[in-house]
Amino acid sequence: MLGGAASAFASLSPQPAAAVLKLNVTEGNVQPVPIAIPDFVGVGLDPATGRNVSQIIASNLRRSGLFAPIDQAAYIEKIVTIDTLPRFPDWRQINAQALVTGRITQSDARLKAEFRLWDVFAGQQLRGEQYNTTADNWRRIAHIISDAIYERITGDKGYFDTRIVFVDESGPKERRIKRLALMDQDGANVRYLTRGDDLVLTPRFSSAADTITYMSYREGDPKVYLMNIETGQREIVSNFPGMTFSPRFSPDGQRVIFSLQRGGSSNLFVMDLRSKATMRLTDTQVIDTAPSYSPDGTRISFESDRGGKQQIYVMAATGGEAQRISFGEGAYSTPVWSPRGDYIAFTKQTEGKFAIGIMRADGSGERILTEGYHNEGPTWAPNGRVIMFFRDPGGNAGPMLYTVDVTGRNEQILKTPSYASDPAWSPLLQ
Amino acid sequence: MRTAYTISAIGHAAVLLWSVWSLAAKPLPVSSNEGLPVDLVTASDFSNITAGSKAAPKTDTAKPLVEKVAEAKPVEDPTAKVVEKKEVQAAREPPPAPETKPAEAAPDKKQAETKKQEPKKAEAKPPIPPKKPAPPAPKFDPKQVAALLDKREATRLAAAGETLNNAPSLGVSNGAAAQLSLSELDALRARLAQLWTVPAGAKDPQELVVLIRIKLKRDGTLAAPPMVLTSGKTPLFIAARDSAVRALFRGQPYDMLKPEHYEQWKDVEITFDPRDMIRG
Repeated sequence: MLGGAASAFASLSPQPAAAVLKLNVTEGNVQPVPIAIPDFVGVGLDPATGRNVSQIIASNLRRSGLFAPIDQAAYIEKIVTIDTLPRFPDWRQINAQALVTGRITQSDARLKAEFRLWDVFAGQQLRGEQYNTTADNWRRIAHIISDAIYERITGDKGYFDTRIVFVDESGPKERRIKRLALMDQDGANVRYLTRGDDLVLTPRFSSAADTITYMSYREGDPKVYLMNIETGQREIVSNFPGMTFSPRFSPDGQRVIFSLQRGGSSNLFVMDLRSKATMRLTDTQVIDTAPSYSPDGTRISFESDRGGKQQIYVMAATGGEAQRISFGEGAYSTPVWSPRGDYIAFTKQTEGKFAIGIMRADGSGERILTEGYHNEGPTWAPNGRVIMFFRDPGGNAGPMLYTVDVTGRNEQILKTPSYASDPAWSPLLQ
Repeated sequence: MRTAYTISAIGHAAVLLWSVWSLAAKPLPVSSNEGLPVDLVTASDFSNITAGSKAAPKTDTAKPLVEKVAEAKPVEDPTAKVVEKKEVQAAREPPPAPETKPAEAAPDKKQAETKKQEPKKAEAKPPIPPKKPAPPAPKFDPKQVAALLDKREATRLAAAGETLNNAPSLGVSNGAAAQLSLSELDALRARLAQLWTVPAGAKDPQELVVLIRIKLKRDGTLAAPPMVLTSGKTPLFIAARDSAVRALFRGQPYDMLKPEHYEQWKDVEITFDPRDMIRG
């Protein structure tokens, strides 16, 4: 601001050559963008579908915290076609900065969805696209359109056409039934992947979003498994003696990195999924676990108590010297590298409190996003702007899923059928 | 007791008297000085004062008197030019003169005119002196308008030269007479800051810096859509650019800018730079 004032002052001095007034604006607001999303025009289908699509888009954008969908009751113009220019003054009057008009056309079992995104104040189209899909895919269409709008207005990739795999927890506290479950990023379309016979933990998506890896006690000892979420087919990753846990895919989806515990120590291993060749990455007498690749696949962050307390370390993906990056008070665990590479999310435990935070890969810029009795298990949205985690309020209640912006704003609960923990966010679906 | 009262009374009276005499208000003389004119000079005014020095070497100020670049024309004999014009336009119409003149001159003139058409003047001179009334007559003649127009063209030609006059003349945009105040600028900046939505949480804030030039009308509305001077192709830059342009559209009218300073804010270049915000 000072800089702005200084340069503005400088501009007051005579400038014989240029008569242009110069001004620096270094502050803006972080208010959500008011956006109008009238019901999509439906052709050859139930008009409710058009309404549903626009409502899903509105709900997606609202949850992101970056948009404020305007109540439809305020709309002046009724959109009946998307082929003509909207009456911009009508939309300006209700203070909409952006307007989305769309049309869904059904013929047989095919859906054609078209939408236009308008800049109300500039009076021009920002984006217009159309998609063809099968009729039962209308929900995904709404998510894809939400992503397109999000990307055009914020400049970042969207994350709405994604899924969450998590551990569904039902039953009384003493005998919780834990099942792997899958749902859309907005909580819809919940589907269970396991029956709850065995304890399952830490599911993680592969980069292809069709495979997950997780830990299960199915064979007695905890082991790492792979599962194709479309076919339900599963396979054990490593059949070593000892416990394998905390698995995660490499960014290319070709390898799985995990911890293997033997005796009192646990070390990091990586397995190539095609050749099944396993390589040891650390060789310590302590507990190294929770490995996570950097998005370019060259480095690994993990937690280790080699320094006495759990801290976060970073090393090359091939192993070798590890560098400690967390130096704050308390214990740091479950580091997860952001898909855009700039931050590592972690769980931090201090004096009986569990916080979710982020820090840069060199340990600088540590920031706590949320804090409380128990917060754990951060996972990144594919655009690296939102983190999901689970929070357990303690007592007889169980854990629930929450999202928070990387800025620490916009904390939101995500409704699930029952208690839920250990979420993992998929990449954008293909 | 009575003596004490008397003494006290006399004493008090004496003190009172003394004070009347000695503390008597003297007339305070008012000097009839003229009021000293005081001008408050702001810092910006002060910095705009151009310092001058009598000892400074003389600079050539004759050249930049030009408003249009053209080939420097050798200044011809100006009087010759004028004469020539009069010959063509004004002098061709001396008929009013003969009209006002008595009939006696008419035959001579007619003869002369029929004989030689061009050397009218030469011919006309010898016959009679009453040539003098002729000049005032053409002045009021409506047909003289053409001659007036000719004059204007002549001055325009004279103003063209090889260098442009880049020295500000009266009323030029950066004259110090009407100075845009800092509070106006602050209000403008505040309005834009209020309307400009910063893409918080962006990974590469340097891509969010956008430079935009706007031209404003006197009523504070945009004279044309904002001109974006920075360029980029990333979605992040495009989003930042559009967000800034939206803020400029929404901010209209910029009524915090006073019309009397219009010359200074009709053309504004604005840098939208959210880096400080995002870092924090």
